[in-house]
Amino acid sequence: MTLHLFRLECLRMLRDPRYLALAVVAPIGFYLLFASLFGGKPTQPGELPGTVEIMVAMAAYGAIWGALSSTGPRIAHERSSGWLEQLRAMPVTGRQLLTAKIAAGLAVALPALVLVCVTAVAVKGVRLDAWQWCVLIPAMWLGSLPFALMGVALGFAVGPEAAFPLSYALYMAGSALGGLWVPPAQLSAGLRSVAHALPTNRLADVGWQIVGGHAPTVADVAVLAAWSVGFAGLAVLAYRPGKAGRRARADEASPVAAG
Amino acid sequence: METAIALDRATKRFGERTAVDALTLEIPRGATVALLGANGAGKSTTVGLLMGLHTPDAGRVTVAGLAPRTAVVQGRIAAMLQDCGLMPGVTAAEVVGLCRRMYPAPLRVEEALELAGLRELAHRRVDRMSGGQAQRLKFALVAVAGADTMLLDEPTRALDVQGRREFWAAMRNCAASGRTILFATHYLDEVEENADRVVVVARGRIVADGTPAQIREAGGKSVVRFRLPAPSMSQLPELPGRLTVEHGWATVRTADPDTVVRLLARSDAAWSDLRVAPPSLDDSFLALTGPTSPAPFEEARV
Repeated sequence: MTLHLFRLECLRMLRDPRYLALAVVAPIGFYLLFASLFGGKPTQPGELPGTVEIMVAMAAYGAIWGALSSTGPRIAHERSSGWLEQLRAMPVTGRQLLTAKIAAGLAVALPALVLVCVTAVAVKGVRLDAWQWCVLIPAMWLGSLPFALMGVALGFAVGPEAAFPLSYALYMAGSALGGLWVPPAQLSAGLRSVAHALPTNRLADVGWQIVGGHAPTVADVAVLAAWSVGFAGLAVLAYRPGKAGRRARADEASPVAAG
Repeated sequence: METAIALDRATKRFGERTAVDALTLEIPRGATVALLGANGAGKSTTVGLLMGLHTPDAGRVTVAGLAPRTAVVQGRIAAMLQDCGLMPGVTAAEVVGLCRRMYPAPLRVEEALELAGLRELAHRRVDRMSGGQAQRLKFALVAVAGADTMLLDEPTRALDVQGRREFWAAMRNCAASGRTILFATHYLDEVEENADRVVVVARGRIVADGTPAQIREAGGKSVVRFRLPAPSMSQLPELPGRLTVEHGWATVRTADPDTVVRLLARSDAAWSDLRVAPPSLDDSFLALTGPTSPAPFEEARV
């Protein structure tokens, strides 16, 4: 059952033009734009070529939105539309529902991630060792987990009108401050320390370390894990199994004559 | 007969307010019962209790002899809740297929869609359905469970006349297959055509319980009307009931229309155009549930 719910969750994302535009097409477009503008510069020893550095940044950028948009705004919408309420009256546990949601969030992050890399290889001639590809994709994919959890927390915490703009604003702010647009090296010292605390930056750094031939740092893993735990905690706090109690109370507190 | 649903002095309070007040109700298998009441009468809370969404503060609730949540998980009962929604972005067949997998002994997807009259729309996206189609799809989600008891909480709310007609046709298909159906509504006309028993609730209590015809008689008064020229007023005999005269028409609201007609026939008053109407279900309903009605359960029981 969980598997089938997961399958349907993925299916509806892939049918959603907004998902395709924002999580898949936009990062690829930005990659091509930035890689053309900044990718050709000669690199110092130990520095990543622009085409590779930006590939990782935009892959992270796409994966984050995939994971976040498939959870937050959707959960908020389903709470208000009554779909979650309907599920509550069926033999589905909250655990099954959340497992399917988070798994689907991760699943739809994957195409965003992979297609930016494919574009980099096909259009900008990016070449990595086979092992780097084999580690890069799974590592960055798993690194999207905090964003799926963030979406779940957000979806249960705010209403359907606020969920999409709020998700998008947090996404943009996190991406900009996390150095996905401008490499953190070019930020001021103060902003750089902010960037290093953000999961957006740490997700990209996991990728940058791998394409540079290194293992992700302990700090990368620790920061991503800490955000995951934090968002999972918030999700548990915000999780409301349904609106039935509240709705029934509001409804029946104001008796009116039969129509 | 085996009992499908039993509430035994079930009480549910929300803060200060008692939504369901020591309600006792037993429904045998195979019955189609309407739970009739105004908004706020306690219908949705009763459904919530039966689905295990609320825990009673006092009393006992069982479904097929089981605790409600157990009955839900075992697929013995399925409900279409008020304000329930559908999963957007998927087709009718896909979402029915999802629900099918949750139950131990479900119908086939095609069977459920057929019952709901949606066979041709199996591959239509949920978000592209009309209000009536979406409502029938919600019914299909309940039907596919294969549960022997179905609860429908105001299933035709916000539907137009055509949508309601289609919906009830689907419901009757299901009832004909021997399922127990309890539906909550405040539309009186739906009760007459679709239920063989009506339970009227007000303020969390049952105020009447009987066939639609019995409910009609229980609270309401028949209406006797006739044309009456002003000079004949004085010749009118004493009639049981309440008499009003307006625009040359006399109206008698009475519990005993036979006597009214007999007295009129014997009198010399120059009345004409006599007509007698049975009590309207609306009147009975208001009489039973209205704030002035004493309506203790035993007295109103018919």
